[in-house]
Amino acid sequence: MARRPHLVGLLLAVAACGRGEPRVAGTVTVFDDAGRAVALAAPARRIVSLAPSSTELLFAIGAGDRVVGRTTWCRYPAAALSVPVVGDGLNPNIEAIATHHPDLVVLYASALNETAARQLERIGIPTVILRQDLLEHVARDARLLGRLTAHESGGDSVARTVLEALEAPPPWLTSASRRRVVFVVWDNPPMVIGAGSFLDQLAELAGVHNAFHDLTSASATVSLETIAARDPDVVITIADSDDARLPAFASAREWQVVRAVRERRVLTLPGALFGRPSPRAAAAVAELRRRLQALR
Amino acid sequence: MKWVGLAALAVLALALAVLLGPAHVPVGELLRSPIVRDLRLPRAVLAFLVGGSLGVAGASLQALVRNPLADPYLLGLSGGASLGAVAAIALHVGGPWALPFAAFIGALAAMALVYRLGLVGGAELDPRVLVLAGVAVGAFAAAVSTAIVSLSEATALRNAFLWLWGGLSGANWDTVLALCLYAPLPLAVLFAAARPLDLLALGEEPAGYLGVDVAVLKRWVYVAASLLTAAAVAVSGVIGFVGLIVPHIGRLLWGHRHRALLPVAFLGGGTLLSLADTVARVAVAPRELPVGIVTALVGVPVFALLLRRWTRN
Repeated sequence: MARRPHLVGLLLAVAACGRGEPRVAGTVTVFDDAGRAVALAAPARRIVSLAPSSTELLFAIGAGDRVVGRTTWCRYPAAALSVPVVGDGLNPNIEAIATHHPDLVVLYASALNETAARQLERIGIPTVILRQDLLEHVARDARLLGRLTAHESGGDSVARTVLEALEAPPPWLTSASRRRVVFVVWDNPPMVIGAGSFLDQLAELAGVHNAFHDLTSASATVSLETIAARDPDVVITIADSDDARLPAFASAREWQVVRAVRERRVLTLPGALFGRPSPRAAAAVAELRRRLQALR
Repeated sequence: MKWVGLAALAVLALALAVLLGPAHVPVGELLRSPIVRDLRLPRAVLAFLVGGSLGVAGASLQALVRNPLADPYLLGLSGGASLGAVAAIALHVGGPWALPFAAFIGALAAMALVYRLGLVGGAELDPRVLVLAGVAVGAFAAAVSTAIVSLSEATALRNAFLWLWGGLSGANWDTVLALCLYAPLPLAVLFAAARPLDLLALGEEPAGYLGVDVAVLKRWVYVAASLLTAAAVAVSGVIGFVGLIVPHIGRLLWGHRHRALLPVAFLGGGTLLSLADTVARVAVAPRELPVGIVTALVGVPVFALLLRRWTRN
């Protein structure tokens, strides 16, 4: 399948920390998280980003000026707000995207999005599907988007920042004394965050332990009884806005069985920083640590 | 003997619901544990009341529209309830009771609309008109709520559907008390209508000759069954198949007489839903299954068997 690479392509591959991706002269080829080979004739100049994490990442690696479409949820950084909205990113409107004449569409990995990607490819618009659940994914996708936009150094430096945050030594606390937290993302039925989510990683880095670390998925529905029995020290929720009020369920009668709720040890974190995995992981960890200490 | 068996099964279902759970509670501490006292016990009682209400509402509506496929949501109540809940979230109505209350109002609105359509052109709640009106109103309400959800920016709205798919996670002693105060009245109306419902099975005209005021009977049964279902939806979302299968199982084992069938539907519905909820809580612990999935997993095979038997006769 791979043609013999020309010398220029080979040099580019070496310069761009190539990891064995097939390369053809003048083109950029990467493998995305849906396992598809994405080949661009030239670095992308007009990008529609259908996931807040990808939009933030594009701006972080210095390719923000190439974003020509975003979702209603892409509100960070502030510069992204001036980019036209093409929908909510959940069930993409192909025509609305096509009117912006993108040469690359970035989608989050989901069944609906894979169908949309096929539709876009059919009308000649290249797509890349990224699954960003963990901080490692942010690093990997920073490099990947860097190559697709010819911002390799920006992608590399963002990736290094994220990996450094991941490898930062956690605060000196013995595991026995570490506080245990539960991230409640929905209250009825109760849904909590498991080890498949960046929030689990942020907790670990901030020196606390996710009481549902044994769940391998990003999130799962559990019984209220299980939350009560695991008896976390702090209940954490993520707000849509910067609204720091207690969530409504904190006053619901059945939730009073959970000690942390009864003792009002409930943290509401801003969605802008904690709603998605982002290059600002170190800032998120510091903020989480600060808020947890303030609760003491 | 059959009654003793059913009663024993009901007690067993409630006992299992209290004894089993994802959290380990030693038997000696069952009475003192807040997990049992404030979570398992109200949830078991609520499951039983909701299941029983759905069973009775289903049995009555099947008799009313003389259609074995009728279930408590047939008359547009689930669509109305979801529209109510979605509207409450979209309008930022707060408080722990906002969602149940709005769902209840939505279900009542759908009920009123279907009822009004059932009277169009002097139809006097013609079963065929009722069924069609119910399906139409339900579909319309579901379309409006889906439109609100897909046009809205609040994440909370997407999760409104999670709640509507049914579950008893929100159970507490307040919801149990509310249902205990509310359900007896519509239940009493339906139990009182047992004998006339038997006669209605002969057809509207014959029932009229035998002294049943058919128009009045249909109104009372319609309103009482809908009020019962609306309350069930409000506290636990849309839980499928309980109101559909339990009456059929009751008819197979106890016959078609509503004096026996309605109490059987109550006990059977309560037993099935509390058993299903125990499975939902325990089977994949620490995760929890939506209870509607468990009732359907049990219900669809049973229903398929019943359908085969029914089509053979």
